[in-house]
Amino acid sequence: MKTNGSKLVEKRTVDMQIIGDWVEPNTRVLDLGCGAGALLDYLVQTKHVSAAGVDLELVKITSCVRRGLSAYQGDMTTFMRAFPDKHFDRVICSRTVQELADPRGVILEALRVGRALTVGFVNHAFWKNRVNMLLRGRKIRNEVYTTEWFESRPANPVAIADFEHFCAVEGIQIARRVHLAGNWRTPCRTMPNLFAGYALYDLAR
Amino acid sequence: MTDDIEVEPATQTSPRHLAPGDVGLVTPRDFVYSQPFTFKSGQVIPGFTLRYETYGTLSATRDNVVLICHALSGDHHCAGWHSPDDRKPGWWNNLIGPGKAVDTGRFFVVCANVLGGCQGSTGPSSTNPETGRPYGVMFPFVTIRDMVRSQKLLLDHLGVVELQAVIGGSMGGMLALLFGIEYPRFVRRVVAMATTARESAQAIAFNEVGRQAIMQDPAWNHGDYPRDSGPRVGLAIARMMAHITYVSDASMDRKFGRRKKNSAHADAYTFEPQFEVEGYLRYQGQSFINRFDANSYLYITRALDQFDLAHAYGSLEGAFSHVEADTLVVGFTSDWLFPPEQNRALTLALLRAGKRASYAELATDLGHDSFLLESDELYTLIRGFLERDQPYVFDYSI
Repeated sequence: MKTNGSKLVEKRTVDMQIIGDWVEPNTRVLDLGCGAGALLDYLVQTKHVSAAGVDLELVKITSCVRRGLSAYQGDMTTFMRAFPDKHFDRVICSRTVQELADPRGVILEALRVGRALTVGFVNHAFWKNRVNMLLRGRKIRNEVYTTEWFESRPANPVAIADFEHFCAVEGIQIARRVHLAGNWRTPCRTMPNLFAGYALYDLAR
Repeated sequence: MTDDIEVEPATQTSPRHLAPGDVGLVTPRDFVYSQPFTFKSGQVIPGFTLRYETYGTLSATRDNVVLICHALSGDHHCAGWHSPDDRKPGWWNNLIGPGKAVDTGRFFVVCANVLGGCQGSTGPSSTNPETGRPYGVMFPFVTIRDMVRSQKLLLDHLGVVELQAVIGGSMGGMLALLFGIEYPRFVRRVVAMATTARESAQAIAFNEVGRQAIMQDPAWNHGDYPRDSGPRVGLAIARMMAHITYVSDASMDRKFGRRKKNSAHADAYTFEPQFEVEGYLRYQGQSFINRFDANSYLYITRALDQFDLAHAYGSLEGAFSHVEADTLVVGFTSDWLFPPEQNRALTLALLRAGKRASYAELATDLGHDSFLLESDELYTLIRGFLERDQPYVFDYSI
């Protein structure tokens, strides 16, 4: 995801604030796909959490280490298997689910090692995406989906309706949900699968 | 640890020891501890000497100290040059120096030869005051913990109040971890590279072959041999075999492949070295016997084999339960002696114990000795870990 462009940076801020609101102070938090550690850094500074992150890339781990964060380079499922049940107070999976090879496996494992799980994702069924696909008939491209198909990583785009169906099938409790409109700021209460651009879920089992 | 780091040849105009980023000429010193020292085994020696070097300047508050811990065959000379004519600088010269990843403009760097070693510190080749002859196998059995305790006495002697970091690879990583465990309030950061909480059966097996090569050499004579001789054949074979475990199939293939020595094509039907790799290993063996004591090799490999954090403290989490330091563990993909998996296990146990710990992995094909790699990625990682004291300026971007 590109980070230059103030609009997207602003969107990231909203995302982080909501995720932060769901984090209890002084708890143990795990961020799956922590990247350079900006979210964990924010949570350490605002909530004084004990933070750990997992990412695949050495440059991301290096950045986390420079911020003073605990970060583990490797596969997130293998990482979680090394921990006892409910070791973390909250696991966060922000804008990562759509990139996972086995989203179901990761979410269920996260609900085992965490007392709560935050999942945030871009709603692929957002109406502009539908129009974009309908009119152009090509891979959706906009400020969120920035790359051509041939330069994109394999992805599992997910829609709000898909995600809630998954939770129902797996018996996952949805403690809280936040749907944001296309600007990722205003709450979206009507037909979120069509009108929400971004969705956040607070899950437990 | 290998000793074949390539160094640019010296030129008349710019001596290597005066290069920017180099600590320059250094002189080893001796710390003499003249009180009885009790080993973990219960055996006692009346005192000991540790040979050590320091680089940089100790701050007035005596808290800007970085301790470097060496591997099995390493020593206290980890940076700089003993003389402008030296063929090679200290073994970690690429990492340590003014402006380097371990910045001697900022840190006071200390490195000591381990207890049980043979590069100036007390070990089996030292004179037993009771007999006036070398200790040989009368020397007490040494453990990694004995090495750590003796180095803590050196740091106390230097007046060090806090370690900013203790850094080591391979056996040095074991010392670094144990420093964090044994002296939790003294150690702020631990960097453990290419290391393990306990050796696998395979690593113990390799050490045992090395020991057998030494002990089956008649010149070993149950450890009783004069200083200038001893089981040279056995020690050379031990080193040749061990050297293979420090590199990798890919790196050996790149360096030697099946290339033949120039002299080899005359007669293929002899057992003289024909392949370059054979000549190289013989050279490694021969250069090792001129600088290493066979009994030290037995003692230190035994210490490596016996190191087992989980066993010593009940569990790995138990071992780390009192650690206060931030720990950075670094693994290398091609390390098959202490493979990434064993390095990951250290980090995971630290995190399970609720400690601050990170795991980073470098993709290399140089095997176990990759921790000595000249790699900007590694330097950035180490520097970032050591120098991140000031709070990060907050930035929302990812």
